[in-house]
Amino acid sequence: MRLFKLILIGLFCTTSNVTHAMVNIFACEPEWGALAKEIGGSKVKIFSATHAKQDPHYIRARPSLIAKARKANIIFCSGAGLEVGWLPLLLQKAESSVQPGMEGHLIASKFVKVLEKPIVVDRTMGDIHPEGNPHVHLNPHNISLIAKELTKRLELIDATNASFYRNRFNSFALRWKEAIVRWEKNASDLKGMQVVVHHRTFSYLIDWLGLIEVASLELKPGIPATASHLEGLLQQFKTKPPDVIVRTPYEPGNASIWLSEKINSPAIVLPYTINGDVSSVDLFALFENSINLLKGALND
Amino acid sequence: MLKTKLAASAAIISLFFGTSVLAESDKDIDILRAEIQNMKQVYEKRIADMEAKLVRVEKKRDQVSVSTGKKVPIRSSRRILSNSYNPSVGLILNGKYSNFSSGSSEIPGFGIGEEGERGKEGPAIGESEMNFSASVDDKFYGSLTSAIVREGGSDKIELEEAYLQSLPGLGLPSGLSLKAGRSLWTLGYLNEHHAHTDDFADRPLPYRAYLNKSFNDDGLATSYVLPTNFYSEIGGGIFRADDFPFGTGDGENTAWSAFARIGGDIGNNQNWRLGGYLLSGESKGSGRKSNEDAVIFKGESDLYVTDLRYVWAPTGNARNKEVIFQTEYFWRSEDGTYQDTENSTGIINFDDSSSGLYIQGVYKFFPRWRVGVRYSRLFSPNVPAGLVGSNLDSANFDPRAYATMIDWTNSEFSRVRLQYNHEKLKDGQTDKQFMMQYVISIGAHGAHKY
Repeated sequence: MRLFKLILIGLFCTTSNVTHAMVNIFACEPEWGALAKEIGGSKVKIFSATHAKQDPHYIRARPSLIAKARKANIIFCSGAGLEVGWLPLLLQKAESSVQPGMEGHLIASKFVKVLEKPIVVDRTMGDIHPEGNPHVHLNPHNISLIAKELTKRLELIDATNASFYRNRFNSFALRWKEAIVRWEKNASDLKGMQVVVHHRTFSYLIDWLGLIEVASLELKPGIPATASHLEGLLQQFKTKPPDVIVRTPYEPGNASIWLSEKINSPAIVLPYTINGDVSSVDLFALFENSINLLKGALND
Repeated sequence: MLKTKLAASAAIISLFFGTSVLAESDKDIDILRAEIQNMKQVYEKRIADMEAKLVRVEKKRDQVSVSTGKKVPIRSSRRILSNSYNPSVGLILNGKYSNFSSGSSEIPGFGIGEEGERGKEGPAIGESEMNFSASVDDKFYGSLTSAIVREGGSDKIELEEAYLQSLPGLGLPSGLSLKAGRSLWTLGYLNEHHAHTDDFADRPLPYRAYLNKSFNDDGLATSYVLPTNFYSEIGGGIFRADDFPFGTGDGENTAWSAFARIGGDIGNNQNWRLGGYLLSGESKGSGRKSNEDAVIFKGESDLYVTDLRYVWAPTGNARNKEVIFQTEYFWRSEDGTYQDTENSTGIINFDDSSSGLYIQGVYKFFPRWRVGVRYSRLFSPNVPAGLVGSNLDSANFDPRAYATMIDWTNSEFSRVRLQYNHEKLKDGQTDKQFMMQYVISIGAHGAHKY
């Protein structure tokens, strides 16, 4: 018993020392992990709860997530209901400083303009988010706002390295601003491009680039595409096919590919998040590749 | 009469207004129009100014989200539409249609409680559950789940859970939490879960025999998530011991539990959890009653449980394809007396152990479709001479059951299931069971436990 106590105390001391050296960031989605890397650099340790092949709506509060959330100094998530099925369970066992309202609780959708906020919510509409569309990272202007907020939080939590974070933020913000100008110029011919989406995951990208979402393969969010709905889309697009059909790496391809073959519009997988394809290794590459893929499809 | 009245009033109106209107020239009307137009423009400008001001104020409020100093609650300007003040309310409706080939379904050798018996034949609704839960404040979380069940021909309300749980804001050491009240306590895998979330329409044999479906006594428990890189948690509790497997003791009984669990990921798409649990206690007073109160156990019983769960999402996205493997093993040792009043055995000393297990696999092959198989088995204890021929005489037969199911999940809130069971609970008795089940959830969107 005494030995057991000693082991426990030892374990506690070693781990608490380690956690103080670095800021542990628990990113619910890989895009937030990537942003935390841009600002936090070598001073932060990042754990991403999900990867590009996972649908962040449908994650279980699996054991490893409980362990990582418990040690987190910052929990960094999209919010707007995206993680409602698993984050609350993790928070119950996490530090008090990462609870809602505290400085270690960073919810990206709270610092940007949220799109598609429904006026009336009813489950017959599918698994709809009453808080609006949570996939906020696909507008680079939102990334700027969230990066600013993350920097503030890091400065608060790890005050000794405040200037380190501020410098990294300034450098990132400058490069990001330049990139946005470049992307907006490069993507100007995409304006008005007609897009069919699988689920409404690309709304922010569509909104930013001025594309037009003409249909969604899921008749209702969260409810897989049905044959009758696809048949309806086929009739709708027979005469005037859309420019492209897009989906995320985690969404099944059969519905997109079927429709693509019938109406002769290209079906493409956009990276959606970090490592969504082999070259989208950071936020810069993510937007670069998304635009190039869309341009490729338009010129097809 | 009416016509003349109308004509008169029209004349009067024209006397007062008509003449003056007629007197106004077109020019006057134009001036009037211009004036109105002017007024409109002025007001529109004022409104636009006010709106712009509002936007600026809102923006400013957004920007001052973080002030200096630690532990300052951060507020956003965005209004959250969830029930910030009201508890989240959820309803679970579930029903079954069952068909059994055998007239009886006893499990000889084990004292089976009422909930441990097989379900009702024909159409029947299961527990209709109502849940209210909310964070009380920054320090506590409260939850109440009541079930409406039909017992003995009338509908009764059963309190399944009513507990208070500490939140991290309470200031306990990190990772430590307390729970008090009545709850589906941490014991094996299934016990913590409400039956409607199970992968099968009924609970496996060890749960029926050892826990009367589930252990939700009144008590106080604590758990501590260790600060390790992999998941590890330890905990335990003390209980009133009024619930099966202890039984009515009028506060005389005592029971306690302890557990340890570890878990983690294997690569990106696989994860697992392994646990060991102990539930120990003494039944005094009127003892543990089973077999419609005919069988009474008094004495000490220790129940050891170990569970393993392994989940694999072959494509990474568990929503499309998923394999879940789950097994639990139960071992119970009892030291006390058994009495079977139905067979007038008298009070017989009993000091022996028995065990049980189940193994199941569930495969989600399409986003909405899953199939599953389950094997469950009990290993009967030896029969003391005094209990031969009673409900506790297993005749050296080990009960076993095979189950297979297919279910369809339309959304996170509705599921329909078909299940076939092949049960051999008694030597020479085969029960072929066919079940159709629906589970509907209305209201609050609960989080998914592992």
